[in-house]
Amino acid sequence: MGALLLLTACADTATMSKARDERAGFATVAGISRQATGAEAAWLQTPAERQAHAQRVRAIVQGKTIGAEQAVQVALLNNPGLQASYADLGMSAADLWETALGPVPSVGISVSGLVSGDVSRSVEGTVASSILDMVTKKSRTRAADLEFRQAQLAAAGETLALAHETRRTWIEAVGAFEAAGLVGRAQGAADAASELAAQLGETGALSRADQAREHVFTAELAAEQAEARLEAQLAKEKLVRLLGLWGTDTDFYVPDSLPALPGNVPNRANIERLALENRVDLAAGRLEMEAVAARYRLNGQTRMLSDAEVGAGVEIEREDGETERSPVVDVAFSIPVYDTSGLISRRGKLEYQRSANSLAQSAINARSEARSAYTAVTGKHQIALHWRDQVLPLRREIDEQALLSYNGMLTSTFELLNDAREGLESQLSAAEAKRDYWLAEADATAAIWGGASDNGEDE
Amino acid sequence: MNRRQVMGAGIGAGAAALTVNMGQAETRFRDLPEAASTDSPYTQVPPRPTTGIEYNPVVTLNGWSLPYRMNGNVKEFHLVAEPVERIMADGMIARLWGYNGQSTGPTIEAIEGERVRIYVTNRLPEHTSVHWHGLILPSGMDGVSGLSHPGIPSGKTFVYEFDLVKSGTFMYHPHADEMVQMAMGMMGLFIVHPRDPAFMPVDRDFAFLLAAYDIDPGTYIPRVAEMTNFNLWTFNSRIFPDIDPLVVNQGDRVRVRVGNLTMTNHPVHMHGYDFEVTCTDGGWVRPEARWPEVSIDIPVGAMRAYEFDADHLGDWAIHCHKSHHTMNAMGHELPTIIGADKSRVTDMVRRHQPGYMSMGTAGMADMGEMSMEIPENTIPMMTGWGPHGPLEMGGMFSVVKVREGIAPDDYSDPGWYENPPGTQAWEWTGELPEHASNDSPETILTPRGGKRLG
Ligand SMILES: [Cu+2]
Repeated sequence: MGALLLLTACADTATMSKARDERAGFATVAGISRQATGAEAAWLQTPAERQAHAQRVRAIVQGKTIGAEQAVQVALLNNPGLQASYADLGMSAADLWETALGPVPSVGISVSGLVSGDVSRSVEGTVASSILDMVTKKSRTRAADLEFRQAQLAAAGETLALAHETRRTWIEAVGAFEAAGLVGRAQGAADAASELAAQLGETGALSRADQAREHVFTAELAAEQAEARLEAQLAKEKLVRLLGLWGTDTDFYVPDSLPALPGNVPNRANIERLALENRVDLAAGRLEMEAVAARYRLNGQTRMLSDAEVGAGVEIEREDGETERSPVVDVAFSIPVYDTSGLISRRGKLEYQRSANSLAQSAINARSEARSAYTAVTGKHQIALHWRDQVLPLRREIDEQALLSYNGMLTSTFELLNDAREGLESQLSAAEAKRDYWLAEADATAAIWGGASDNGEDE
Repeated sequence: MNRRQVMGAGIGAGAAALTVNMGQAETRFRDLPEAASTDSPYTQVPPRPTTGIEYNPVVTLNGWSLPYRMNGNVKEFHLVAEPVERIMADGMIARLWGYNGQSTGPTIEAIEGERVRIYVTNRLPEHTSVHWHGLILPSGMDGVSGLSHPGIPSGKTFVYEFDLVKSGTFMYHPHADEMVQMAMGMMGLFIVHPRDPAFMPVDRDFAFLLAAYDIDPGTYIPRVAEMTNFNLWTFNSRIFPDIDPLVVNQGDRVRVRVGNLTMTNHPVHMHGYDFEVTCTDGGWVRPEARWPEVSIDIPVGAMRAYEFDADHLGDWAIHCHKSHHTMNAMGHELPTIIGADKSRVTDMVRRHQPGYMSMGTAGMADMGEMSMEIPENTIPMMTGWGPHGPLEMGGMFSVVKVREGIAPDDYSDPGWYENPPGTQAWEWTGELPEHASNDSPETILTPRGGKRLG
């Protein structure tokens, strides 16, 4: 949990303070307590609060081009389903917001859209850490209420899942608009060829069949363009749903293209450790064990075993303090081992073993998912780089040479345009590779914080 | 360039070999003659012989004659078959196979009745042979690899030796992997001068071979598998505007010898004169068998020599009359753009290719006038400038320059001809009367006595 608190403090204060100035009108929300109480949940029901909330969302989206971080912010604030689960826990979206991020920035945390590598800067990271922060605070006053803490972790999990889905949807929507733009350019090249064919038909230089060949290509491409535009609109509409927007609030834009590919992917050799420290489902698993221990009135923890040790069958029920160290792992996820010597009930033993083993399994899975995510990010980055640095320069060379060849009356305008169209197909593939890289980045974030297993992986 | 200058300056190794020959004709050699080589693509006028039988050496356009030495009564040459870089025109290098540094190879000149011994060294990566086209010789010297003798393996030297039983216009080329080796540029002229200097004498004797290559724009090496779609039509592996002119003194008797080693015929047309074929690769044409012409069709694998008296001063075009053969590399799939309004198209294309220029809507002459960047190692399809504007030519095109007062051995370019006053087409600036016109495709009989305007 310590790591989470630390991350909360990592919020980008420079951008925040800039945002704060622009958000002077929202001074009223600044004094809201970080403490989540039932009374505050009721307060959320007031028309004034509703209006303030709507205004807050509107300020972020209406008439604006929103980045990925802003989309995630709005989703967390505004998604009705998520708000309901917050309300159950006695937290308002406003609380959450203030706790996690301070005053709502109207321009967003990272306007450019996506931040590569620095997972601590993601909105879901800070939001999830705030929820967990509250959990720890609660634990001081309502120490016995493990069920409640688990419910809160579940809410944090939902938050992360929504954030992850929103981020992916934003990437897919922007990628779809980028693709539609490129198809539109190809359409422009085809239009030019079609226009030339029509001209040559008038002078008598091109047969009706050859004219029709140019026109049909253009017409088919027009259908493709319509398809691409529709896909972009539908992708944006999915984003609208996740953001919980309706009416004039849906008048927002996403950028025309995804951010450029970063030159290199930060080394994330520590991704396993980050996942073990931060995954909310693992935190929930620990609480589950605490709950079992509490239910059977087990005495205090005797020692800690790593997930790998549990996985390798190290005796978790041993009472003495001696340990047999088995597998050596760089990073350990420690599983508390309780003194079960006083435990008579066989059912209690089994339940305790089950929760310990299931926690170890979750930790081992989390490790693997983290490694997969990292492999995917580096792999997709390599592929996108290949398109950008190998394929596209060759396409540019072809375009340059095509013009020289046209200049020399060696090839016709039709061939020149055909090369241009083929070049745009490569650009389309390059854009897709770039989109896949950013999706992998989003998945890596989810692999660290959680939220990936329910969503995103289903494709 | 004239014979005396060449003598003075020497032509590298060739001149050295030549000097040896002249000074020590009686010496017996045991080794083979030095292999002369040149890296110049310009016409090198051979010196006249100073000993032995007198003859008037041929001037090989953008070429040279192979130096020789006398070994007893045998005239010895050393041909080296090797990869070469030929400058086809300023701005274009072709990676070919040739002989002694160039393609086409050096012209072999000898005299009727002489015995020749020709050493052929093969520096190609595969075997080769030399067929002596048109010469009467023993079957074993005919150069058809596998049939006449084994091919000359890579790195080996073979010796051909035979008597020149008749004078005339001949050529040599490989007859081993023939299609490839000829597509790569291996060929040369073989001129046998009459033993009698008074037989068929001329003042100027030009010679060139017609060779076709398919070198894609932006590339350097011919596509050897091509059969019909060649894009470079050359005189001696050289293209307009860099084929040397045929410089002639007024009143000279002039002979032009042309051999065709391409895969199509070429009607070689010369302006300003009518002339008669006096020699083929089969021998001299009897006077009663000649007829006047202005275009000589040179069949595939054949040679023609025609003669004329250079009475008419001027700059006279000499070119193949197939209009595609006076073009450099071009696209044959281009649609005709003439008459199309490309203004809208041009704007649309520029969105994808900002450097796009509209061309061809009024014909293709824009090409000759605009000098746009084209692929590397490529000469524009139509090019060249004359005293009155762009020539818009390429390929098999040169100029016969007839002037007064050109010294006998001077072949240097005298510059452009200045038309005497009143002898050049001029612009009419007055009113235009109604011109005769006909919109009927029917045959219209002209009334006897002609049809007068007005
Ligand atoms: Cu021709």
